[in-house]
Amino acid sequence: MKSYNKLLAAGAMSVLSMSAFAGSETPEGKVQATYPPISSDAYEKFGGEYGVARWTEALFKYIMADNRINHIFAAHGKIDRQIALNKQLVSVMLGAPGVEYQGASMSAAHEEMKITLTQFNAVVEDAYLACEDVRTPYHTCNQLIAALAPFKRSIVTR
Amino acid sequence: MNGNIRGFGCKAATVLAFGASIAAVSSPAQAGIYDAGKVLATSGVNIIDGAAGGGITPWAVIAGYETNQGINGSIHYTYANLPNYSLNSLGAAIGFYDRLELSYAYDLLPTGSTFNTVGLLTNTLAGVVVQDSGIDPFNTAIRMDIFGAKLRVIGESIYDSDSLMPQVALGGFYKINHNQELMKTLLANKTKDFEAYVAITKIFFPLDLLVNVTVRYTAANQTGLTGFGGPNKNKREFRPEVSFAYLLAKNIAIGAEYAAHGKNTDGRGVAVGGNVDTSVLGSITGALNNIGIGGPVGNLANNLNDTLTQRESDWFDVFFAYFPSKNLSFVAAYANLGNITLTPKQTGAYFSVQASF
Ligand code: HEM
Repeated sequence: MKSYNKLLAAGAMSVLSMSAFAGSETPEGKVQATYPPISSDAYEKFGGEYGVARWTEALFKYIMADNRINHIFAAHGKIDRQIALNKQLVSVMLGAPGVEYQGASMSAAHEEMKITLTQFNAVVEDAYLACEDVRTPYHTCNQLIAALAPFKRSIVTR
Repeated sequence: MNGNIRGFGCKAATVLAFGASIAAVSSPAQAGIYDAGKVLATSGVNIIDGAAGGGITPWAVIAGYETNQGINGSIHYTYANLPNYSLNSLGAAIGFYDRLELSYAYDLLPTGSTFNTVGLLTNTLAGVVVQDSGIDPFNTAIRMDIFGAKLRVIGESIYDSDSLMPQVALGGFYKINHNQELMKTLLANKTKDFEAYVAITKIFFPLDLLVNVTVRYTAANQTGLTGFGGPNKNKREFRPEVSFAYLLAKNIAIGAEYAAHGKNTDGRGVAVGGNVDTSVLGSITGALNNIGIGGPVGNLANNLNDTLTQRESDWFDVFFAYFPSKNLSFVAAYANLGNITLTPKQTGAYFSVQASF
């Protein structure tokens, strides 16, 4: 019964934390708090600065080849800026020391594009392909997916 | 009873026709409501009851690869090879906007050696067949239609990794068991009934783990394959089910499932040659033993009694699921279904193949 109460309390807390996030900004500036937390050596396992750079380039290779979404990126024509900013963001999210994200918030960057969940999921599938490209193991890749996942609430507006 | 088998072919045609109609929606020309935007493997697979889930447990995920942008669906065929039975399940599920799921499954369970024995026995015991036992020795198959609906009510199993809030769905099945005489023989109270369930699903990406907990409100015996309710227990009750899926790769999951089953007919006999519950036979032979009539005659009676006592166990399986693409997935599992009516130790291999559109 006691543990049941605990479970209930945890459930209630998570509902509260959800509503606290709803509509508000997800934290681009610091490591994402996930349940459970992502592994503390995720950045290192991802290959550090060099690894994150190669992964981000691979990601955009797959995005620009992906007919489901490439037209959206092409229309904005800021791929180089996006690659640079995504390197920063991914590093911060994986817990890289001393890296700062200098771009716009996720909702500001994506809001007026009215991105669908189908388009968001396409980027997620390309993210897994990029991990395979740079030989980042699935488990390590999932640390990044866990860290970026809550941005879905800011990015998907349709 | 050849009709059973023919029936299966007819259902197969219906399910395939259903598949073809989804396929028609999926033609690019009609790229309006068709959507296949879920991430690979996140739609689960179709369970033997037809809903999206693991193998035996419905999950909070909605069938098909659609997101909130459209409609998608899948068809499945599952075969479980058990020592005394084989279970075939053929079905289709359609997901609307990742919100509502409608499903249908046709389960066919040829009963094999156990019921052959019971059938021969009851026919012999009854002499003149007073009541049709519903068992045609060497040719009995249990047939069940399962209609399902599921509504995703709250939560997001995949992307809310910063909260413990799971995805929650409410669902129900209406099951029609077509073997009325046999269900009487097995002392089931009903042949048609509904089940309701609440399922909660959460993916923990840092652990590569999917966890599902379902509570089913049901009176089913062996998922309804041997009817609903028993001689004394007819009420529906809450039964827990738990699934774990460990994601080995983006297209491979291994896991385990557990589903609690009821005891409606557990410890009961079967009704032979009219309305004799064979567990009554047990008391008689017990009494005979007590007053010293043992020996070969007593043993024979006892063995007969054991053989004719129904048992039900919780179900358990370990599975391996492979998703080579969004259009095709396979499950191989080892299922331990324990005692099924008169036969103990029903463990065996389970294979399932599923196509999505
Ligand atoms: C977790 C997923 C995503 C992350 C982490 C992400 C990250 C970013 C970042 C860091 C920027 C740069 C912001 C700036 O310029 O200051 C950006 C811009 C952009 N993103 Fe995303 N994004 C994600 C999903 C998506 C999706 C699903 C799409 C479309 C299918 C998309 C399309 C774009 C476009 C077109 C821009 C350029 C906007 C502009 O410069 O006007 N993003 N994104």
